[in-house]
This record gives sequence, structure tokens and C-alpha cells, in this order.
Amino acid sequence: MTSPHILQDFDHAITTFRGELLSMAGKARHNLERAIRALLERNEELANAVIADDNDVDDHERRIDELGMEILTRFHPLASDLRLVISAMKISGNLERISDHATNIAKRARKMSARAEIQEITLIEPLYTLADQLLRDAIASFTDHDARLGASLHDRDKELDRMHKSVTAVYGERIENQNGRSEDYLHLILVVRSLERVGDLAVNIGEDAVFLEAAKDLRHSKDRSIS
Amino acid sequence: MPAQATSTDAASRPDFIQVDQFSFHYGPKQALFDIHMDIPEHQVTALIGPSGCGKSTLLRNLNRMNDLIEGVRHEGDIRIGGTSLYDPSVEVISLRKRVGMVFQKYNPFAKSIYENVVFSLRVAGRGRKTELDETVERALTDAALWDEVKDRLHDSAFGLSGGQQQRLCIARAIANQPEILLMDEPCAALDPLATLRIEDLIIGLKQRYTIVIVTHNMEQATRCSDRTAFLYMGKLVEYGPTLAMFERPKEPQTEAYITGRFS
Repeated sequence: MTSPHILQDFDHAITTFRGELLSMAGKARHNLERAIRALLERNEELANAVIADDNDVDDHERRIDELGMEILTRFHPLASDLRLVISAMKISGNLERISDHATNIAKRARKMSARAEIQEITLIEPLYTLADQLLRDAIASFTDHDARLGASLHDRDKELDRMHKSVTAVYGERIENQNGRSEDYLHLILVVRSLERVGDLAVNIGEDAVFLEAAKDLRHSKDRSIS
Repeated sequence: MPAQATSTDAASRPDFIQVDQFSFHYGPKQALFDIHMDIPEHQVTALIGPSGCGKSTLLRNLNRMNDLIEGVRHEGDIRIGGTSLYDPSVEVISLRKRVGMVFQKYNPFAKSIYENVVFSLRVAGRGRKTELDETVERALTDAALWDEVKDRLHDSAFGLSGGQQQRLCIARAIANQPEILLMDEPCAALDPLATLRIEDLIIGLKQRYTIVIVTHNMEQATRCSDRTAFLYMGKLVEYGPTLAMFERPKEPQTEAYITGRFS
């Protein structure tokens, strides 16, 4: 735990800023969880709630940008304070996109809820479980200043990529067989694609956490060491 | 790419000024402890740290200004271009011609703009009008003041604004074409726009001079210095490229100071 700033108002602003980001992260993750549940449980009402609540996440993103700008303007942060503002603003963009993917999934869930159930929809569950683990750990790497955890997400995301390919192949095969449910299988392929993208965005958040804690930019880098 | 981020010229010396295990005492009080750092030629090096950390003491040792104080002593050495400042062959007066200085409070003499610039030349007995005229134009141009004062060179220096007076002091300091320019909080008494003009000037001047600046303003250090040294309680805590130090300092004390957590 770092010691407080001499200027107490700086600490208040940082606390508010971090709080806003953590609240946004919780809502984005909750939206994803509810979108998948709406899909699996064929719950149209829940899907509608997720779509409506995306605006709330968008508001958080705007608020985080405002607070970040305010901190940059008022306090001229340097070193770890500067990295915190930059990384938090980038993370909020990634969270907003995760919530957009939740909304896309919810829209597909709403369309599919009126039609007969597809048994193979359950193939989505392990993908969601892993995507959510990656997202949870990405957020934790930021909140706990855990660069090692943040850097680990890149390799762990490869398993999600592998699952994405495998499940997409199964759904693609069903479409080729022309069993009359092609549109639903296409929806499922795009849901799987959204979950794969959530994994990528979690990796981005983990890299921002590494930048915050270790001042190292891992993006597009073969050297994944954090020291 | 900003000027302060450019690398040292191939021809410039990375160890032009060598502060070598240098300690300094004001009587019984030790102000500097075993400072060791190389200051590169044609770059701007900023000294930062809380009041009393020794940064001005270190600066004033670079042209032996502290010699004027009774009871001071030092250990270690400071070399410029490989020659010790304390070598018996070094005359302090000629050293101060090589190492000019600008102070926190602009302090023009109660003379005309022209006479302020040529003051040191007149003291040295160099009174030929052509040389003086050339020096005035060159120094004022280098100090980014020529265009503003060329039509009133014989007016009193006190008629200039604060920022102009400080630039006049810079012109006076570089009239003798020193190799090194020391600046002790040169913008502390200036408004923000005058400060930016001085900073712009500093970035331009490093092409010809090696500049060492003491500043309490960390934004100023980030804007116009290439390297930064953080001193605390007379010790050199961290020294390195400015942007790296302000983005990712290595030492916890530096981090605490530049993020405003220092107590």
C-alpha cells in the first residue's frame, strides 16, 4: 500500500476514480453473466434487462474519462499516478466493449428464446466459464496490483481460442447439414465469437495492469517477462 | 520528437562534467555526501529535490561559487573536460567565465540593456566598439531578446518586464561564451508565459551550452531537461534520463517525491 499524497484532494480524486472503474468492471462482468444466463435459460426478460443496462456501463466510461481528464488537469500526475490514470482509462474502454459483447449476446438470446431449444447450446457454458475467469483475474490484477497475474492471461487465453475454434467447428457442421436451424447456429457461432473477444479484452486489461504495476508495455511483444 | 528527447550529439562528451565522489561541508554541517555523476555535454540536466537537499550547493560548486563562504571544505573532485576545478592551475575567475550562472531573481545592473550585456567584457578590458556591438547582438539573439529590445538598447534594463529582465541576465551570462550555463530556479519569479519562454530558450541554448538547472518545478524538469538527478538530504538518490525517471522511477524515495507523497 502506497502512502497517501500530501495533497489530500488528490487522494480523494484517485479513490473516486478507482471506485468508478471497479463499479464499471462489476457491472460489465454482471452483464456478461446475465446475458449468458438469458441465453441458456431462454429468459427474454433478463436479456432485455442486459440490453437496457448497457447504457449504465457507457455512462461509467464517460465518467471515467471525465475524472481522468480532471486528475490530469488538476494534479499533473507522474510515475505510478500517471500510469494509474492512463491504464484505468484504457481499461474502461475494454470494459465498455465487453459490455457491448454482453448486449450482443443478450440480443441473440432474445431472438432464440422464442424458438425450440438447441441441445448443443450447452457447449457455450465452458467457454463462458473460462472467459469469466479470465475477466475476473484481469480485474483482480488491476485492483491487487498483481502484474504476474495480469501477464498470465495471455497464455491462458490460448485455451479459450482453442475452445472457440472447436465449438465453432461443431456449430458450422450443423449449418452445413442444413437441419433447418441454420440461423440459430449462426447466432451461437457469434455468441462464441463474442466470448472469444471477451478473452482478448481481458488480456488487454491484464496488460494494462502490468503497465500500471511494472511500467512495462507487453502489447505486441514477444518478451512477456514483467521484470 | 521534442528537443529534450534527442540523444547526445556524437561529438559531445557524455562525461563532460564529472562529479567524482564529491562531498561538501559548510563548517561542521555536511551538505553533500559522496555525489558521483557524469553530466553530458550539450544537454540539460535538472537537479530536483526538497529544500535543503543540496541541489543548489551542488550547482554552486560547479563554478566554485561556494568558495566565497567561510569555513567550507570538500572531498572528492569535480572535473570539467577532464580538468579538476581544484587544480592549482585553475583560476577561479577564468573558471567562472567558462561556467556562467543565472539566478532565481533576475538581477540586471542599474545600467542600460547594452551595458548589462557587455559588463563582463568591459571588466576584462575589452572595450572595442565593434566587438561589444557584435557581442550584444549575438547574446541578445541567443537569449531570444534581440527583436524585442534592438531599438532601445540604451534604455534602462529596469524598463523591461520580469521575463525580459531574466532573459537579459541569460544574455549577460552567455556574453562571454561560456561552455556551461548554471541556472538556479531561473523561472521562480516569473509568470507562466514568461516561464515557458525561458524554457523554450533553455531547450534552444543547449545546442551551444551545457546546462545544469535547479528547479522545484517538476513539470519544468520534464519539459526541458534531458536528464534529472534527485537529491535528498545531500545524497544523490537517483539520476537518469528525465522521461524514464518521471514515468517509472527506480527508487521508492524518488517515486514518493515526484508523486507528492514525500513527508
